[in-house]
Amino acid sequence: MCSQANKIIDSFSFFHSWEEKYEYLIDLGREMEPLNPMFKNDNHLIHGCQSKVWLYCEEKNEKLYFYGDSDALITKGIVAIITQLYSGLSKKEIRTENKDVFKIIGLRDHLSMTRANGLNLMINKIKEFANN
Amino acid sequence: MSTLNINTIRSEFPFLKAAKNKELIYFDNAATTQKPSRVINAISNFYKNENSNIHRSVHKVGALATQKYEDARVVVKNFISANKTEEIVFTSGATESINLVANSFVKQILCEEDIILVSPLEHHANLIPWQMIAKKAGATIKMLPIKKSESKKSSLEKEELDYTINRVELKEFLKTHSDKVKFIAAQHISNVNGGIQDVKKLTTLAHSFNIPILIDGAQAAAHIAVNVEDIGCDFYCFSGHKIFGPTGVGVLFAKSLLLKQFKPYKYGGGIVKQVNNLNTIFREPPQNLEAGTPNVAGVIGMSEAIQFITEIGLQNIHAQELSLKKLLRFKLEKINDITIYQAHNSLELNTLFSSPIFSFNVANIHHYDLSVLLAENNILVRSGDLCSQTFMKVLGVDGCIRASLSFYNTESEIDSFILSLQKVIKLLKR
Repeated sequence: MCSQANKIIDSFSFFHSWEEKYEYLIDLGREMEPLNPMFKNDNHLIHGCQSKVWLYCEEKNEKLYFYGDSDALITKGIVAIITQLYSGLSKKEIRTENKDVFKIIGLRDHLSMTRANGLNLMINKIKEFANN
Repeated sequence: MSTLNINTIRSEFPFLKAAKNKELIYFDNAATTQKPSRVINAISNFYKNENSNIHRSVHKVGALATQKYEDARVVVKNFISANKTEEIVFTSGATESINLVANSFVKQILCEEDIILVSPLEHHANLIPWQMIAKKAGATIKMLPIKKSESKKSSLEKEELDYTINRVELKEFLKTHSDKVKFIAAQHISNVNGGIQDVKKLTTLAHSFNIPILIDGAQAAAHIAVNVEDIGCDFYCFSGHKIFGPTGVGVLFAKSLLLKQFKPYKYGGGIVKQVNNLNTIFREPPQNLEAGTPNVAGVIGMSEAIQFITEIGLQNIHAQELSLKKLLRFKLEKINDITIYQAHNSLELNTLFSSPIFSFNVANIHHYDLSVLLAENNILVRSGDLCSQTFMKVLGVDGCIRASLSFYNTESEIDSFILSLQKVIKLLKR
């Protein structure tokens, strides 16, 4: 987790203005590995977001891997960060991980203005996968 | 032409002149309006100097509070040109007003297989309460027919998307179903496109089949003069916070004959004449529908807001908003790939005035992305389904951006909004 989180924190440290941070966030979303269209259905939809967010979880060798997508660019960027952060971790590691990367990269205040982007809903969903 | 001095008006709103809000452009007035000092002071003064429960205590502070509360009922009565003060019920807002009519009146007359007619243009607050009581009774909700108005194309030949209730089709439907249709609920002004319904004609049509009708005036009361006697509707409601008053307070107008048939759905103190171990005799309406200690400060604040509007004059507000609306419409139309959902009829017809609500989408840009980046530019707008998923379905979208203006907004704010919008679109399309 630490190495993935640190990598994201390091890459965001190059950007200072909110415009640059958003541009980078959008780029991360664009570069994210696309979610297999067969998983873009209601079963994997996170309800309660203003934009559509799909999150799919796969377990391999006792590690969880996350794949996602969104119809909004900014949300897709958030999905990219979250899937990077938590993929490859064990359920126990996910349950105990509390580092607020979004706060460190300076986007927490921006993104938590409303629950519309689903940031917290996505994290809750990932913790739910880890609790099963 | 507006004769208002907007700088003076703006100086009366602490939010608008606060140093920390200096950079903000508040275009979210359909969600809630800002409050002038006199409203804030009226609420503050009540708690500082006049706080007491009402309709109970005989002491002079209690009597004063009761007087102010009941005076507010007169202010509201005059504001919407109702006939009688007892036709005004104070609620927590338009949502509660609709729930009150649904649960205390319509529920009593609704039977299995009956029909409630609601338009697909409604805010969820004017749809869900009807769905709930219909389900319980085994009745059904049917959508009022709507039509795309044949309004003129704009100068740039953008498609017009202006919807109204289709009274011709409605009349045909009622000819064969009027025995089953027990109630009609419709908006006065849309919270999505600002379009106005001809609620007087709609009421006349409903009444010609002996069907009672409720008009949701949540988006109307701050923008047009409401005359419930002239409209003729049985019920009319609005919220305090959308007319420069406080949150948590609103109004239900109900014709006194119908109000007498209400069965309270909230019970408690303040609504009884006599109680023994087994039975209660209730007071007359509207008091029997205001159980518990009401929002006295809120009612006083709302009354102050109404007096504020009345002193400025709805004609002046109308003129100012019309001028802002024309400018914003003109500038928005120049944005590439934009689809504007704002009702357009009002630009030509002064009699059919809509509120200055501009909902729109830009092709290939998600409304959420636009609203987030506009917020970063200090532009406060609403995005999403605007609490009207049925209207979104009519428009064929799952959401949009809504810029909603009030008369205190300025031309320079519109200029800044357009510049920010262009900048944000550029960033998202890069």
